Amino acid sequence: MSFSRIAVWVLLCSVMVWADNETANQDKTPEKTETPDVSTIVNKANFMAYYQGQDGKSRVKMTITDKNNTVRIREFNILRKDKQDGGDQFFYVYFLKPADVRKMVFMVHKHTDIDKDDDRWLYMPSIDNVKRISAGDKRTSFVGSDFLYEDVSGRSLQEDTHEIIETTDKHYVIKNVPKDKKNVEFSYYNVWINRDNYMPVKMEYYDSNNKMYRKIEALTIETIQNYPTVVKSQVTDLAKNSTTVMEFSNVEYDIKLDDIFTERYLRRPPREAMR
Amino acid sequence: MNIKQMIANYSLNHYKTVTIVMVIITLGLAAFIPLIKVDTDPENMLSPEEPVKLFHHHTKKQFNLSDIVVLGIVNNKHPDGVFNVDSLAKIYNLTEFSRTLQWPDKNHPDKLSGVVEVDILAPSTVDNIEQGAPGEIRFEWLMSRPPATPEEALSIRDKALSNPLLKGTLISEDGKALCLYLPLTSKDMSYKVYTELKKEIATMPGDEEFYITGLPVAEDTFGVEMFIQMAVSAPLAMLVIFLLMLFFFRKLVLIISPLIVAMVSVISTMGLLIGLGYPVHIMSSMIPIFLMPIAVVDSVHILSEFFGLYTPQKGRRETIREVMDNLFTPMLYTSLTSAAGFISLALTPIPPVQVFGIFVAIGILMAWVWTVLFVPAYVMFISEKNLANFGTAASAEHKQTLLTRLLHSSGRFTYSSAKLIITIMVILTAVAGYGISRIRINDNPVKWFSKSHPIRMADTELNRHFGGTYMAYLVLDTVKEKGVSSEYLQALTQRLKKKSDELKNEFPQVDSAFNEAKTILTQNAPTTNDKDTLLDDMSRFANDKMESLPDHDTMYDIWYELADFFDLEKENLKLFKQPEVLRYLERLQDYLAGIKVNGRTLVGKTNSVSDVVKKVYQELIDGRPENYRIPDTSAAVAQSLLQFQSSHNPDDLWHLVSSDYMHANIWCQLTSGDNMDMNKVIAAVEQFFRDNPPPAPLAHNWAGLTYINTVWQDKMVSGMLQSFMGSFLVVFIMMSILFRSPLWGIICMIPLTITIVLIYGMIGLVGKDYDMPVAVLSSLTLGLAVDFAIHFLERARDTYRQKGSWQASVPEMFGEPAHAISRNVLVIAIGFLPLLAAPLVPYKTVGILLCAIMTVSGTITLLVLPAILRLAEKVLFKPAKQLHGVSCNCAFCLVISISSVLLIAINAHQYFKIGWSKLTWISIVIIPLSALICGIMSRRKACKNL
Repeated sequence: MSFSRIAVWVLLCSVMVWADNETANQDKTPEKTETPDVSTIVNKANFMAYYQGQDGKSRVKMTITDKNNTVRIREFNILRKDKQDGGDQFFYVYFLKPADVRKMVFMVHKHTDIDKDDDRWLYMPSIDNVKRISAGDKRTSFVGSDFLYEDVSGRSLQEDTHEIIETTDKHYVIKNVPKDKKNVEFSYYNVWINRDNYMPVKMEYYDSNNKMYRKIEALTIETIQNYPTVVKSQVTDLAKNSTTVMEFSNVEYDIKLDDIFTERYLRRPPREAMR
Repeated sequence: MNIKQMIANYSLNHYKTVTIVMVIITLGLAAFIPLIKVDTDPENMLSPEEPVKLFHHHTKKQFNLSDIVVLGIVNNKHPDGVFNVDSLAKIYNLTEFSRTLQWPDKNHPDKLSGVVEVDILAPSTVDNIEQGAPGEIRFEWLMSRPPATPEEALSIRDKALSNPLLKGTLISEDGKALCLYLPLTSKDMSYKVYTELKKEIATMPGDEEFYITGLPVAEDTFGVEMFIQMAVSAPLAMLVIFLLMLFFFRKLVLIISPLIVAMVSVISTMGLLIGLGYPVHIMSSMIPIFLMPIAVVDSVHILSEFFGLYTPQKGRRETIREVMDNLFTPMLYTSLTSAAGFISLALTPIPPVQVFGIFVAIGILMAWVWTVLFVPAYVMFISEKNLANFGTAASAEHKQTLLTRLLHSSGRFTYSSAKLIITIMVILTAVAGYGISRIRINDNPVKWFSKSHPIRMADTELNRHFGGTYMAYLVLDTVKEKGVSSEYLQALTQRLKKKSDELKNEFPQVDSAFNEAKTILTQNAPTTNDKDTLLDDMSRFANDKMESLPDHDTMYDIWYELADFFDLEKENLKLFKQPEVLRYLERLQDYLAGIKVNGRTLVGKTNSVSDVVKKVYQELIDGRPENYRIPDTSAAVAQSLLQFQSSHNPDDLWHLVSSDYMHANIWCQLTSGDNMDMNKVIAAVEQFFRDNPPPAPLAHNWAGLTYINTVWQDKMVSGMLQSFMGSFLVVFIMMSILFRSPLWGIICMIPLTITIVLIYGMIGLVGKDYDMPVAVLSSLTLGLAVDFAIHFLERARDTYRQKGSWQASVPEMFGEPAHAISRNVLVIAIGFLPLLAAPLVPYKTVGILLCAIMTVSGTITLLVLPAILRLAEKVLFKPAKQLHGVSCNCAFCLVISISSVLLIAINAHQYFKIGWSKLTWISIVIIPLSALICGIMSRRKACKNL
């Protein structure tokens, strides 16, 4: 099926929902005339979440708390560079903690083309070995936390159909339904997107019984170098009764990263990665 | 007028009141029955504070372990087993279906209970790790969707077989069958899950065979079927007893009374039990079965006697009065002894057995009360007209039945061949003694089902194909050392020096930082609680140093490296990331796999963190078989484990190791749930730890249902044995008092002693396991077997007084008294045979054993007791001296004192957990002391007067 047909269909649906809202609760959508179409919203939101600046770096601390209240910590530096805005990207993740995984590197060449898998590499310093990683899907845990690989790298907009299901004072609520249900564990997810700056601030994942089982929330947003940035976010896995908090520090944008996203830099990490 | 006449008269005069009161009390108690709470969990055989149970629950929580329903799928028709397109599609759908087996929790409406979705183990829920393109490692679902072609199906098989974590667990060793593991939020959900799965499977026709088993299913299903069985078996037994009595007494109207007594006792006991808030456990569900024979016995004696004495001239009122006069004392004592046998169970350390013992005892006493009050009252309801042609007087004179002829000839035989009988008994007892020495103590809840039951069949089939469906967890805990030893400090300082030397190339200024760190380290070490705290403090110190500097300063980098050094040292304290500890685990697992009994492997499969590390490491290197090993450094271990956590199910790791890597769990799959086998594994593991000291201090403990079962079995067996000894002494003391002679007391104990020896000897010889029902039946034997002896000896003494010699007494003894005993034997022995039809093995066991107990104890009473009386006539029936008070009989006093001391010792040992040696010392003091008191008492003036 062609993309344009889906877009038209999505547009139609959103208009219908929007029309429905208008008749049912008019007071809820005071600025209805300004509501942009759904693809504009999701595109802008995707930019806010993953494409701020040309590149960037940050120190990340992950605190995983399981149902027995046991806490595990992961700390790493993450470097990002966009190959093209809104398109392919490079990530370089350099581990700091726990101490025995220090210097481990995880590198990704992300491809937004739906038919092309991301290229991923792992460097294990203990055996001085570089291994390419291929995965059946992107819904695997990110280093044992409740975040998934896809939460960190971003999910291609082409993988879902999008629909505005509600417009509140502050948010657009978008329902996203996967086109191919086989590679994902959810049946749909809703995203709350700030109306003023298009920052996605909450995502709720639903299973086939329409039960929410997982949510991600942006807890703190700061403006860094004029870029609104989520500096603290949390994922809650309701089925496992486990949460992971991700805190970003030392965030910098547009640092003019060299072309360090190659295999040879895995063994010799650049200074930006270690700091 | 003595008390027994008063009771009989009251009952006869106010028979309507007595009946109304009985009905009201029974209905009142019956009203509680609808409040029934059922507890079918054998785990509750252990009290909630039991350390083993607490550890079991702690382990389950620590490693997120659940009780598991095992669903096996076998396809014997297809050459590739279940690895074909059709079967795998069904397995996929069944997995999806089992995800939905969740329902709102009754107690926590916001939570779900049922299958723990995230922990389901199935081809579509586990990851496959393998080599992709050269230099590539590939992670994906083993079966993300049902295969479309036979090749895809076979590739799923090959992937699963090549993963040691899955082989033997998920996929059978022969690559033909699959197992799904469905963890439950709680064990009591298993019957519901089992039922739903069966329903779903019924909608999937095809060549596959589906098997559901696992201890939780067995235990929960047993509970459910047990109650169905109770509703069928107990009434059926009642019906057969009724028919037999009808056959013996031929008066329908009369035999209803024992049935009423039995029913009333059972209903009021169960009502009382439920009303007092006790849940009905597997044990207490057996109360009706145990109570019925005992409740019927007394009434049968009354009816037998009534049958023998009744003549129309005497009339029912006079006859029943005479009967009650004859039987009141023996009935009181038989009831008291039976009750004593059961009440002694209150001292076993197993709560459901305590409840069982106490309530059976209450039931017995209630049955006694209603027998002496209601049976005479009931007789008053019958018109004399109805009793026409009733009784021996009317029927027996001209009609010798087979039974009466048999009894009379055996009476003569006991007199003529007393020595022969005794000799045979001694030989039999010796053989039985040998049998007892061969008794095998063993139990297995799955074997509570008969061989044809689906659960039992599933158990056999799946344990043939897979590593085993019985889970036990061997938990290894790091033993933390207190304080910081000087050796450790020295080694640590050396390592720090080495680190700073390494850093020198890059940072020549490292020495100052090293010296500063070393000073702090040496200062802190002696006063710190443990190594972790010391390293934490040092890491914080280095971090603080670092953060006080600008990050372009060289010292910043140096302090960063030193902080990292201390962090790394701390990681190295986490034992289950250390290669040498993981290799120790590996050896232990190899050892477990090698434990064999008669060539049979006991532990079919083990999984541990070692296996995870080996598999991930192997694939991270190059996937070659020789790299399936523990890496050489702890960093490589940690990095392999972090990679494992980048899978779909990262938390699977935490079933095998705690997230602080201080505790590990070796998940053992046993092929058999026999406690005997589990005990062998436990013993073997103890041996391993003795022979192979771990590389670091490790404590080991077991958890898991298979293990828990062995613990309560041990308690049950030793507890039962001690309870039995206790009640044996109680009964002996009571008998000595009843007969006012310890010698008669001993004789009275002979039939029950021989019966128990013979029954348990038989169990040993036949090879039947000594399990829960067998253990409990010893108390019943005690109660029933002594009954016959009491009745027989009481009557023997009476008759001897009248006739003057044993020879003259024999014909009378083998008339009505022997008749009553034989009738009882037949009624109960045959009455419980319907239990054999039950699909549950414990019911069959109870049926067979009740039958055997009644037959053996009846026969022994009727053969051995008269033989002894014949041989020891002079000693036993010497001219009565008993006119003296009992207190004047020195021997009597002494025997009673010694028995009482033993009794108290046994109970003290069991109840207050006082050691035997201590009790022996106390007894050594008390016994001579009581002997002295007895001596003084028997020589006092009052005794010499007569």
